[in-house]
Amino acid sequence: MAAKITVAILGYGFMGSTHADAWRLIDGCVVKGVWARDNSKTSKFASERGIKAYSSFSDVLDDKEVDVVDICTPTYTHAEYAIQALKSGKHVIVEKPMALSLADADKMIHAADESGMKLMVAHVLRFFPEYMKVKELVDEGKLGEICQARAFRGGAFPEWSPWFGEVEKSGGVAVDTAIHDVDYITWISSGIPQRVYAKIRRGAKEASAKYEIAFINVRYKNGMIAFIEASWAHPPSFPFTMKLELDGTEGTVTLDNQSPVPISLFSRTIRQGYAPESLPWKPMVHPFPLDPFYRELSHFVDCVRNDKTPMTDGRASRRSLEVCLASVKSAETGRPVELPFVG
Amino acid sequence: MGSLFKVGFLGVAHFHADSYARALRKLPDTEIVGAFDDDTSLGKKFCEDFKTEYYRSASQLLDKELDAVIITSENFKHYECIIQALDKGLNILCEKPMTTNLRDAEDVVARVEKQKVVFQMCYVMRYHTVSSLVKELIDSGGVGKLISLVGTNKLNRSLPLLRRWFTDPRLSGGGAVMDHTVHLADLMRWYTGDEVDEVYTEIGKKVNNSLMVEDNFFTTIRFRGDVIGHIDGSWTYASGLYTWGDVRMEIVGTDGALFMDAFRQNVYYIGDRQPNDKLSWSYYGCDPDLAMITDFKKCVQENKQPRATVKDGYEGVRISLASYESSRRGAPVKP
Repeated sequence: MAAKITVAILGYGFMGSTHADAWRLIDGCVVKGVWARDNSKTSKFASERGIKAYSSFSDVLDDKEVDVVDICTPTYTHAEYAIQALKSGKHVIVEKPMALSLADADKMIHAADESGMKLMVAHVLRFFPEYMKVKELVDEGKLGEICQARAFRGGAFPEWSPWFGEVEKSGGVAVDTAIHDVDYITWISSGIPQRVYAKIRRGAKEASAKYEIAFINVRYKNGMIAFIEASWAHPPSFPFTMKLELDGTEGTVTLDNQSPVPISLFSRTIRQGYAPESLPWKPMVHPFPLDPFYRELSHFVDCVRNDKTPMTDGRASRRSLEVCLASVKSAETGRPVELPFVG
Repeated sequence: MGSLFKVGFLGVAHFHADSYARALRKLPDTEIVGAFDDDTSLGKKFCEDFKTEYYRSASQLLDKELDAVIITSENFKHYECIIQALDKGLNILCEKPMTTNLRDAEDVVARVEKQKVVFQMCYVMRYHTVSSLVKELIDSGGVGKLISLVGTNKLNRSLPLLRRWFTDPRLSGGGAVMDHTVHLADLMRWYTGDEVDEVYTEIGKKVNNSLMVEDNFFTTIRFRGDVIGHIDGSWTYASGLYTWGDVRMEIVGTDGALFMDAFRQNVYYIGDRQPNDKLSWSYYGCDPDLAMITDFKKCVQENKQPRATVKDGYEGVRISLASYESSRRGAPVKP
């Protein structure tokens, strides 16, 4: 019987609810409560799930039963909450990006080291089944040495949460979104990023003209090159899409999340792309063998229970943040940025 | 009109010589007068395949009565072939890249402008039905104002090995950058109606380490009007790929996004020699070579300006050379 783990979630947004659902699937884990800055939204989130609504962040930290703080708040708040939670003796899993500056990331790493608590950054892409399959092929040597990687991640502008559009709060598309692929490509290739060159284009502030798109080229020390395109510039009708292509000395692999559709439902009563809440599925169904968020949280739980280092601990995650921040700098200056990047 | 269109080949080292010859044979009132190549066996083989005359020297061929020449020699020899043909006042269809250095490219532009012959670049994508439709869609405002273009013109890595000169820098002028920058660069220039202002290229580790030239690169470009573009013309697809390569582009504008996969119209063939025998694509889409050659003939006979001109050839050379320069310096450069 696994030791019981009690979780408090910070944040009631998309990630907060996704994590809350995934925690329920893990043996011996209980989400005790939730806290976020808007008390009425926190209460609504809590009552819908039959959990406690904490009235303040310090209530969460003071709750001796809480083992894990799961931080799903907007990015600009991550560092502060994570550091306080670690210092209060809580294990921390925090959404990506871990922070918006390397100084903050360093403080988080330091707090984890000092407290001896686990710190994991939720780079969930590593737990998506198609990306796990690619990793498996790479590890089996089916690609030989990887020479180039191309990744696309994008969709419409994230209108559901206005803070995404504020660069100082989210880091913009190059930090918030491209970081998934930076982390993944660096991980599977065991590469050391050396130089970053990027272009970012942004639309006007008005809602109708908003867009942001980033091209990030990363050169690694072993000569591998990676191109990551991250977009919040596609129209609302465009489904959220992830693509990956790797060419190695021994082979090529490609992945496109829109391509393998095992079930398509066309109905007289359901419009394409729309399914009433009561239906168990949407018109296009991509069933996963296991939910990637479940796998991600299970890995964290394994690290907590068995005193292991999370694969995306503070140090591993800082490296991806460094590349993304360097890309912003490169786009601003029009010059390539050599790593290590110093703010 | 009906007057016979007489064409000679100056060099047949490029694979495309064969596809252009096949296209010529489909045209009415058209004659392949002969071909020259300094590789006798390659030249003779070509002439046997297309039932035409092999000439031991370019001048012997150029002494024949010709309306035009098609230059499909090794990249490095293009300049010499162009000059020889211009000296005879002949119209020219020139394989890409136009030349392998900027001085030659400038000279070609000046001479062509002076002589008023038809000089058409083999930028075949300007004649492809799919990429032409995309041009119309963009021009009609289908995606709003352009923001970015991301293109791949990647190649199956086994193909450049079939003709050794592609990987000999003395004859090719370079590897994948020299070979495969220009189609995408030209499409992006065509689509934006703008010129490239800045080029940044990373040349990556080779997938085929035995090559003397690069096979793996990314080029990021910025147009004067701020549209950004990304070009990947690497020869990196694994040799077991189901097809030769691709010409794809993602075009993002203020009102929409458009995806082009120009050679996507295929039926799938699966072999039966062994379990899991690989799948391959059999293309049934339009024939851009035929469209290009047909238009070339029309331009010559009606003395019209081609869709892909000597200026477009020059810009392609300029961008490719800027790529090498950027890669050497590790910095963005103005082409």
